[in-house]
Amino acid sequence: MIEQLRQRLQALQKTPGVEGRPGTLPFGIPVIDTMLGGGLTRSALHEIAATGEAHLPATAGFALAVAKRAAPSPRLFWVSEDMAFAESGLPHGAGLDALGLAPEQLVMVSATHRRDLLWAMEEALRCGAITVVIGEMRAGAIDSVAIRRLSLAAVESGTLALLLRTEPPNDASTAVTRWIVGAMPSTTSGAPRVAVQIVRNRRGPTGTWILEWSDSDGQFILATHAQPLAAPALDRPHRQVA
Amino acid sequence: MLSLWLRRLSIDRIVRSRKHETSTPLVVTGKRGNVEVLTAADDAARRLGLTPGLALAQARAMHPGIDVVAEDVETDTALLDSIADWCLRYTPLVACDMPDGLLLDISGCAHLYGGERELIADLSGRLEKSGFAYSLAIAGTIGSAWAAARYGEPASYACGEERSVLAPLPLSALRLPPPTVASLARVGLKRIGDIVNLPRAPLTARFGSDVLRQLDRALGHEHEPLTPRLPVAPYVTEQRFPEPIAREEDVLAVTVRLARRLQSALERGGDGARRIELSLFRTDGVVRRIAAGTSRPLRNPGDIQALFVERLAALADALDPGFGFDMVRLSVLVAEPCPPEQIGIAGGEDAAEFCRLIDRLSARLGPRRVCRLVAQDSHIPELAETALPAQAVNGDAGWSTFRRYRSEVDLPPRPLRLLARPEPIEAVAEVPDGPPLRFRWRRALHEVIAAEGPERIEGIWWSEHGGPARDYFRVEDKSGLRFWLFRAGLYRDLSDGAGAPAWFLHGTFA
Repeated sequence: MIEQLRQRLQALQKTPGVEGRPGTLPFGIPVIDTMLGGGLTRSALHEIAATGEAHLPATAGFALAVAKRAAPSPRLFWVSEDMAFAESGLPHGAGLDALGLAPEQLVMVSATHRRDLLWAMEEALRCGAITVVIGEMRAGAIDSVAIRRLSLAAVESGTLALLLRTEPPNDASTAVTRWIVGAMPSTTSGAPRVAVQIVRNRRGPTGTWILEWSDSDGQFILATHAQPLAAPALDRPHRQVA
Repeated sequence: MLSLWLRRLSIDRIVRSRKHETSTPLVVTGKRGNVEVLTAADDAARRLGLTPGLALAQARAMHPGIDVVAEDVETDTALLDSIADWCLRYTPLVACDMPDGLLLDISGCAHLYGGERELIADLSGRLEKSGFAYSLAIAGTIGSAWAAARYGEPASYACGEERSVLAPLPLSALRLPPPTVASLARVGLKRIGDIVNLPRAPLTARFGSDVLRQLDRALGHEHEPLTPRLPVAPYVTEQRFPEPIAREEDVLAVTVRLARRLQSALERGGDGARRIELSLFRTDGVVRRIAAGTSRPLRNPGDIQALFVERLAALADALDPGFGFDMVRLSVLVAEPCPPEQIGIAGGEDAAEFCRLIDRLSARLGPRRVCRLVAQDSHIPELAETALPAQAVNGDAGWSTFRRYRSEVDLPPRPLRLLARPEPIEAVAEVPDGPPLRFRWRRALHEVIAAEGPERIEGIWWSEHGGPARDYFRVEDKSGLRFWLFRAGLYRDLSDGAGAPAWFLHGTFA
């Protein structure tokens, strides 16, 4: 009897995000993909933070590049606070189109309060007809309960949820991964570069890379061997993580 | 046609707003020309001989103890509007008859109350309870109802006998301007009966066509249109309660029941609802109207209920039921043809789910907060696309045309985010026509290390207010941030006497 209850309790207590439906979004960069266990978990919440407010466009670009990998023409939901759209500007259709995203698939929601923003994100996640939900948040702590709800909603509907934040947070979160993204000066080729850092990963290892946007491939490619240069521990077959 | 005259509207409003009763005579005053005159007086004041039209100074001299309140036309109008809303329980055709009357077209509606006399009894009972002085009349035409309400017997009923009812009434009952009435009186024509049988041609020649037109309208020889205050909804259904309801769950349950009734009506008409309104009639006469829009023609009761769940949630505690609602009405304000429902076709379910989400978000946050981008026919970047409410946007929103254009002209890179309006920056350029070396935006200094451009975008040269030509540059600063900025105006145009070209920042690249 007690054993049964214990099992039921365990089933209820499963952490959201990790044991979701199978399905990952590979970056096409072996180092990152192995570290993430094949790629970004599709039905989960991921946090992407900018190194500073000025780097928000690069962060948004990175998030959209991730969104683009979710489907050939993803149905995008971009939920943001009023001020964010006023300060950083609205997403520009021509720019999205150049990135390979269909502007007609984008729905923008501006919320007056943080509460409305989280509610709108959750509704969009639970809908099931949306491919990617992007929530853009200004500085300030967010309710951990709300984040947990978002994670659960993402797992249940199999929708990719991306939370954009203006500065690197250090609060606890149920997000599967947390990224910190900043712009980097480009080389002579002029291709945009971003510095990408995984600071939290449910699967364990973290790392830093410099990625370069390749227009011809329509995806990010690894620009440098950022540290560590040695192969990560998880590449050893006898120590496979998860 | 029912004409309702609230003869002491402003006095009743003031008395209702007061906490305790006083016996001091009350008058309302307003400026007419250069004189402060009485515009309304209560019964006590009238008994003292203070009638509207009297100068305030004279009234004060006669009775220094009177209570004087300045008139407030806007509040009176708002009150009349709310009474008109409340009268929607009797008929959808309610018109305001300024400044203090209402016209209700009750033809075909009276039997719902058991007859015209019962309707009058119901209406007068409610008005008395609310403390309004009124007089009303039912007649075949607007003109005769108006005349009977103001000059005839109280609660008179004159259908089919307009001529005999009107005959003893004074000529001002025909809604004629006072100078015309005065000039008619000068020749001894004082009552409507005096002019009914007069030869028409001399009357028109002497007093203008107005007199006979008003008479014809009152007698029903000429049609007079009624302009309802609110457009009449194509589909309406309502539910009355002997015992008022107050809880939100009850209101929602009733909404579903009404929506089910609407569904069959909509199906018969081949329509779907694009805009739905829920009217809640409170027992004390306040009417609450809550509207919700949809992104596609809607029939499903469950979807309609879901909309109002969000609308009521957005209202928070504002759904103040008072002593409860005794009538709920659901009306479709805008209907659109809608093909019969198809169920179970792959792909359709996703689209329906998506529309439902848009509707829910729009209902809660407001339609303007849920937007989609629409490509516009313009080459000026900030005009090339606009964000419109997602409920109003269908199909590909012009983007397939944009893609065709893009492939033809090989459009230079466009930023990922565009500021609503270009923000002025302080920029220093090496050469007048070149890109800036450094610039200051939002108080931060950016050193430019790489630049691409210019891309020249001409202003709207065919218009006087088209603005100058712009040279757009894509620049990257030291830390790798990429901006889209432009110089408005060209140095070649400086000789025209225009100011020096200014720099603006317009967008950011990823």
